Amino acid sequence: MRDTQASKSRSLLYAAAAFLLLATCVSSQAKADVPTFTVGWSVYAGWNPYFYMQKSGILKKWADKYGIAIKVQRFDYAASLDAFVAKNIDACTMTNMEAFDLPAAAGVDSTAIIVGDYSNGNDAIIVRNGLTFDKLPGQKIMLVQKTVSEYLLERGMVLNGQQANLSKLKLINTSDSDIVAAFMNNKSNPVVVTWKPLVSQILADKSVHSIFDSSKIPGEILDLLVVRTEVLNRPDGSGQKFAKAVSGAWYETVAQLAAGQANAIKYSAGASGDSVESYKEQLKTTSLFATPKSAADFTTSPTIKQKMDLVRQFCFAHGLLGQGIKSADDVAIIYPDGSIQGKKDRVRLRFNATYMQAAQQGKL
Amino acid sequence: MVSGVSAPVKVANETGTVVAMPSPAATSIHVDGVSMCYPLAKKKQRTVLENISLEIEDGEFVVLLGETGCGKSTLLRMILGQERPTSGKVYVSGKAVERVDARSGYVPQKYSLFPDRTVLDNLTMGPETSKYHILGRLMPGFRSFRKQVRKEAMRQLEHMGLRPTDAGKYPHQLSGGMQQRVAIAQALMMKNRVLLMDEAFSALDPATRASLQRLLKTVWNESKPTIVFVTHNTAEALYLGTRLIVLARSSHEDHCGSKVALDMKLPGNEAGMSLKKNGQEFLDLVDYVERFSRGNRHDDQALDESAVDGEEEAV
Amino acid sequence: MAAFSPFDIVDIQARPNRLVAQALSCLLFLICIGLYMQTSINRHKENPEDRVTPNATQLANGIHASVFEPAEEDDYIPADDASKWERFKHSMIVKDTVSSGRRFLISLALLIPAVVLALHIGLFPWFGAGFLRFVLFFDKIVALSLLPILFIVFGIDEWSKIALIVIGVAPTMILDVTQMVKAVPQEQIVKAFTLDANNFDVAYRVVFRQVLPQVINSLRLNLKPMMLFLFAGEMIAASDGLAYRIAIMRRHMGMDVILPYVLWVAFLLFAIDLSLRLLNRRMHPWFQA
Repeated sequence: MRDTQASKSRSLLYAAAAFLLLATCVSSQAKADVPTFTVGWSVYAGWNPYFYMQKSGILKKWADKYGIAIKVQRFDYAASLDAFVAKNIDACTMTNMEAFDLPAAAGVDSTAIIVGDYSNGNDAIIVRNGLTFDKLPGQKIMLVQKTVSEYLLERGMVLNGQQANLSKLKLINTSDSDIVAAFMNNKSNPVVVTWKPLVSQILADKSVHSIFDSSKIPGEILDLLVVRTEVLNRPDGSGQKFAKAVSGAWYETVAQLAAGQANAIKYSAGASGDSVESYKEQLKTTSLFATPKSAADFTTSPTIKQKMDLVRQFCFAHGLLGQGIKSADDVAIIYPDGSIQGKKDRVRLRFNATYMQAAQQGKL
Repeated sequence: MVSGVSAPVKVANETGTVVAMPSPAATSIHVDGVSMCYPLAKKKQRTVLENISLEIEDGEFVVLLGETGCGKSTLLRMILGQERPTSGKVYVSGKAVERVDARSGYVPQKYSLFPDRTVLDNLTMGPETSKYHILGRLMPGFRSFRKQVRKEAMRQLEHMGLRPTDAGKYPHQLSGGMQQRVAIAQALMMKNRVLLMDEAFSALDPATRASLQRLLKTVWNESKPTIVFVTHNTAEALYLGTRLIVLARSSHEDHCGSKVALDMKLPGNEAGMSLKKNGQEFLDLVDYVERFSRGNRHDDQALDESAVDGEEEAV
Repeated sequence: MAAFSPFDIVDIQARPNRLVAQALSCLLFLICIGLYMQTSINRHKENPEDRVTPNATQLANGIHASVFEPAEEDDYIPADDASKWERFKHSMIVKDTVSSGRRFLISLALLIPAVVLALHIGLFPWFGAGFLRFVLFFDKIVALSLLPILFIVFGIDEWSKIALIVIGVAPTMILDVTQMVKAVPQEQIVKAFTLDANNFDVAYRVVFRQVLPQVINSLRLNLKPMMLFLFAGEMIAASDGLAYRIAIMRRHMGMDVILPYVLWVAFLLFAIDLSLRLLNRRMHPWFQA
């Protein structure tokens, strides 16, 4: 009696398992029909809205409109770039500098389809004891080397007439996860270069102050959404649909954020575990291109070429383009007007304003 | 205790040798009412030795005999200073024993040599450390002293029947018997009057064992040190000793510790007793002694076993 | 030799031909190299500038840059006619090896007092009572999580990295050595005392000498954790060192430099391990297994 019952329940189990297997097969079959794209993002004031965009259903609405599926995945910044270069994700948020020196320099042809914001004070150089730029040489400077932090430091030195002393800076490469503790606890380390919200944590100590921040170099540190060009140019046109869907969703999200909608701000703040106040404070120093028009205008202006030139020369001078690259021109950039910075046969990074303009014209 | 005292007289008559009881004045080792208890779980304790008193004269070769677990090794370790009695006191050379020191030499069954030193270094270690401690080795006189000690060590080595070529070998390159020879030599280098040996030959094969027994006998005959030799082998005990002490417990209860069951003088001449020489007399003696080591309990099986044991190992 | 049957693979008593066995031991290496080359070629077909799996030319350039070019942050600029040796002396791999090596050796030296402490814990009852429980507890602390405290106490320079290594490895080492000391037969200690040795003779001239080969073996096993902690420290805050270079290169996927560095570190560890093993065999001919 017991045996038959047991075997009965076991066969029931098998049936259920088989059914489940079948169901997953069918559903994955159904999914496979819809082109799926993955967007990687990392924690930063200008990118946190991606979290809200997904949570609120805005992204799904736009994806459905174009008949595709879009997944959003949060990464550590470095890991998101690795995943993008390794072609594990289709699109990724990154700064203009990383877009140039990582995927582009590594030969992965990339296209920036959204210029989301520029850092307008998010990155800062903080000193103790009232140090000034002319006293920085010889001091220990903590920062994450080869990132926008080092770029900001160099620009600060140059703009303050200290270009000749650049080689005398003593840089200490410090992981961003420990940089606050390392700076606050060691009075012997007088200078730190980092970004928000770490800047806000450090500045809470009244004995230190910022001597330079990214608001002095507006438009040089850009935050982009970059898509692999081969994805964008897929023959079935799904890449185009993806770009349009993401752009549409992005500007709907940003509009809500700019209008100060409570949920938009709350979820964007929650994406990085920040309080609403802290996030609002970060937004103040983030110059968000809230409308597609402002973004498109900036992307098509001559200014962006000047700014990018500064960045690419910095990258080349610091060997960020790798051993094989002998000139900054080896990694060329093409702008919306068709002009090319660098060698024509080596275009690797493309600024594409098409989708921002389409959003501006309401054609998405 | 009563039987222990009366026994030697009787046996001495049997073997035809009359020996006087030791006089307290000449004692080398004095064990004074010693007991040993180990705590067990739940507030119980196990008594190993119960109120043991012994006087061992200078120059005696005492063999401590008993079954496994009777506490004969514990008694030896107390004389050595490695264990402290629960009650009572032990005196060696007139002074109370508190901890292990150089008053007694020691030859254990295993790990008797330092594996990281050559045979020669094992021999010289005693005199060297006793004269020059760890930092004293840097003093100027050390080198010439060492030379002298080495010469003496080589002499001792040859005396123990080892070849000079063995001096540079490490213990693991020697056989078990050779190792014990070196261990005895090492203890003798210290020239102390008391030598404690804990089952020193028990791990050896019979032939090697016999030759070591002869060696030990010779050594004792030469300089007459006080030796306390622990063994469970009756034949060995009869061959080596001048005095035989048997430890046994009267019951297996935890609270009941071992006592001296038999304390008798042996002829202790240069040859020692053996089956070959003493024949039936030897066998009778073995039988007699083993009755005491079983605590006078007449357990047939145990009797058979030990009788066979004794015959096999008899030299 | 009889013909090879597939069942020989699971035969404990099989006696493979020496040449075949040698060849077999190289097989996995060859497979690894082959797989790497395959991946590299495929990726380069797709993207000629791929950096994730550099090809031979890229690797050669990377090795050349690390062995003959000065580090980017250095002031030294090689003269055009500088000899190879001159260039090598100022190269980044030499600079990084020297600074990482210094940290490593200082930590190694700091393990000596740890071993001495362990000897005392295992041998002297009062030391055991005082330290053992604390070390047992401390051993379970994940050293990396103490980093902010280390920064406060040791600053962010050399000493915090060295402290990280020592705190990470020393407790394990102490417990290990304590066990070894306790495993020295009691007979040896008693014997030494009967030979008129004093406490320090017993500790240093009897017990320490006997456990030293085991201590060196334990150290050999701890080389890798030490390197791991060194790398963690250098990746968190440093201005030179092998892991610093790897961290910097990772930022722009400089695998052409990272791969030679990784192999170099593996080689260094292997060399240290081998020399410790040979030293052990030479110093302690009496030590078996």
